Amino acid sequence: MRYVCAVAVSLVTCLATARSVGAQAPDAPAQETPDLVQQLPNPIVSFVSTPVTFNWEQSAGSLNTKEAQRACDGCPPRRIGMSLLQTTGINVIYGLGNLARGQVTGRITPKTWWANMQQGWVWDLDDFTVNQIGHPYQGSNYFNAGRANGLSFYESAAVTAFGSGTWEYFGETNHASLNDLINTTLGGITLGEMFHRAGWLIRNTHATGKRRLWSEIGATAIDPITGLNRFASGDSSRVTDKPSDLVPSSLSGVASAGALWRGSQSSAFNQAGDPFLEVDAYYGDTNVGRSRTPYDAFWLRMRFGGGRSFSEARVRGRLFGQPIGKSGLQFSVIQTYNYQNNDVYSTGSQAIDAAIGTTRALSPRTNFWILGWGGVTVLGAVDSLPLGVTEKPEEETPSAGQGVSEGPRYYDYGPGSDFGGLARLTRDGRDVALFFYVGRQIYSLDGVRANHFLQHARVDLLFPMRGSLGLGVSGEYFDRRSYYQDAERTTRKYHSPQVRAYFTWRSQ
Amino acid sequence: MKRLGLCVLLVCLIPARALAQDAQPSAAASGLWFVAGAASGTLRGHCQDCVQDFPFRHGGALVGNAGYRVNPRLSLGADLFWMQWRNESGRIRATAILAAAQFRPWESKGFFVKGGAGMALVRNWVQTLGPNPDNSKALALVLGSGWEFNPKGRYGLQLFAMQHVGALGDLQTVNGSVADVTANFWSLGAAIVIR
Repeated sequence: MRYVCAVAVSLVTCLATARSVGAQAPDAPAQETPDLVQQLPNPIVSFVSTPVTFNWEQSAGSLNTKEAQRACDGCPPRRIGMSLLQTTGINVIYGLGNLARGQVTGRITPKTWWANMQQGWVWDLDDFTVNQIGHPYQGSNYFNAGRANGLSFYESAAVTAFGSGTWEYFGETNHASLNDLINTTLGGITLGEMFHRAGWLIRNTHATGKRRLWSEIGATAIDPITGLNRFASGDSSRVTDKPSDLVPSSLSGVASAGALWRGSQSSAFNQAGDPFLEVDAYYGDTNVGRSRTPYDAFWLRMRFGGGRSFSEARVRGRLFGQPIGKSGLQFSVIQTYNYQNNDVYSTGSQAIDAAIGTTRALSPRTNFWILGWGGVTVLGAVDSLPLGVTEKPEEETPSAGQGVSEGPRYYDYGPGSDFGGLARLTRDGRDVALFFYVGRQIYSLDGVRANHFLQHARVDLLFPMRGSLGLGVSGEYFDRRSYYQDAERTTRKYHSPQVRAYFTWRSQ
Repeated sequence: MKRLGLCVLLVCLIPARALAQDAQPSAAASGLWFVAGAASGTLRGHCQDCVQDFPFRHGGALVGNAGYRVNPRLSLGADLFWMQWRNESGRIRATAILAAAQFRPWESKGFFVKGGAGMALVRNWVQTLGPNPDNSKALALVLGSGWEFNPKGRYGLQLFAMQHVGALGDLQTVNGSVADVTANFWSLGAAIVIR
């Protein structure tokens, strides 16, 4: 729950401030670099604009060294050792949090460290939300300990793996969990870079005074590690340009609010609809341009309500982009994070896909964008019941102490593959119709022994109303086929149709 | 005897760095990343519902990498790990092929970390040694770190500690099915690096 709250706070803050600040033009005129002496912080100004500033006694010499460590004027100083130290500090904070909550898994000693190292990696039995959201969020903190200290995307990815590995061995009494290692590392990279870039969107580095302070606070809510580092170093009050690679080429978003009706295996549709709020954000354009900057373009979808307090999160971030000759086709390598958890089904995955797409102008006002992809699901999770069990039993109070998951766990883990397609019809830059399909195969290595094939299709039709407002309807279909590896080779089919009606508000 | 042999190999590998440096003191590194070496390994099985404590088994291992140097600090490519243990009843053998990244945080220092994911092929696991081998495929992960000597030159030597894990799922044995099996491999060794 704490993770859901953290994500919710982040998103609401982002929505509240992103529109007003918007995307900074990449070719914004560069400000003159202030003289070093002028950069020496005035304690009074620092006190007013940034209450937490610790560097006002810095000498000009140390400032020179610090400036030399920056890749650009607005970039943080490059401090590899500090990023690793802060990652360890994040682990300590999470560990203290566990202790404060009375979790027996937080009672670590050198003996538990040694026991974990001797045991090696195992699958854990934790709750779906903890494993599929909690660990990726924790991983995003590690990742941003790297980004906040001037490390590149890939360097920060290594820091994430370091944080995850050390947490699993030394942060808890539980044995090191290999599903946590994957989810924390890959999910942490995806969410971390997304939060980092979202933070830089709302950070107004040209502003001063209270306006600046609030923009920094807002960014800190989304990316706490970068924000705290900036307050501690005094960067939160420096007037600079934003780092150019953290400024998107374009930015748009759609918020949808309405009701959805979901059916399940046993019933056609629930009578009372579930209210929901869904947010789609398009950062950069994933379908054009040569790109070697990871996540210079990504798509984010988050849904609150609709069967659970937080029922869906998808992030698709471009790692690599290359136009194919003059064909108009675009090749991309995309990292994805998927999470869906509602009252009918639960599934999540970390995947790397290769995609080919193109954009065609059907008329001067109408564009058609199509994208197809296929790739590797490094680790997928899907809810599953053993054969003969028709309903998930109530969870029992753990006998081994609070925080110790003893199972059984009613979802399966395994690697697999995925493929899918996305088509988008726009008129005057506004979505008119959207089609999304993804098929995913998960070969269960932990849980019920089965080969799961999941399919998910969704069609949205959108009608513009007045100004930024619009109306939308959508139909969605989720289908799961589980091929059990029992003696009879049993096959089970599950499906869940869904219809939705909603209002939209578009920001561009 | 095997351990002695491995120690001799490691000792022999150490001067290779100096020789390589002398031979090509200023050779520019290419985009290639190639690593080959040997290690002393320990393996151990685990399964979620097993009550018995599985033994640690020690044996020799071979390691290798082939790939591309993205920049002076980061290399991407394939990681190969092979390990075998045998007694009178039979042998356990594991081969892991992974996509891996090796990263040196400090460009001038030899310290590196490595991580990756891929697939492992495991022949006979846990205590299933017999005339009819059980073969399994597994999801494999690797985490490791080490020190590279002469990290900027074309030839170098690395000392490493790595942990590979293979998640086998169910293992079908002559005695029945063992559920949710994982295999852990710890290795300590040395390798020659060519860039």
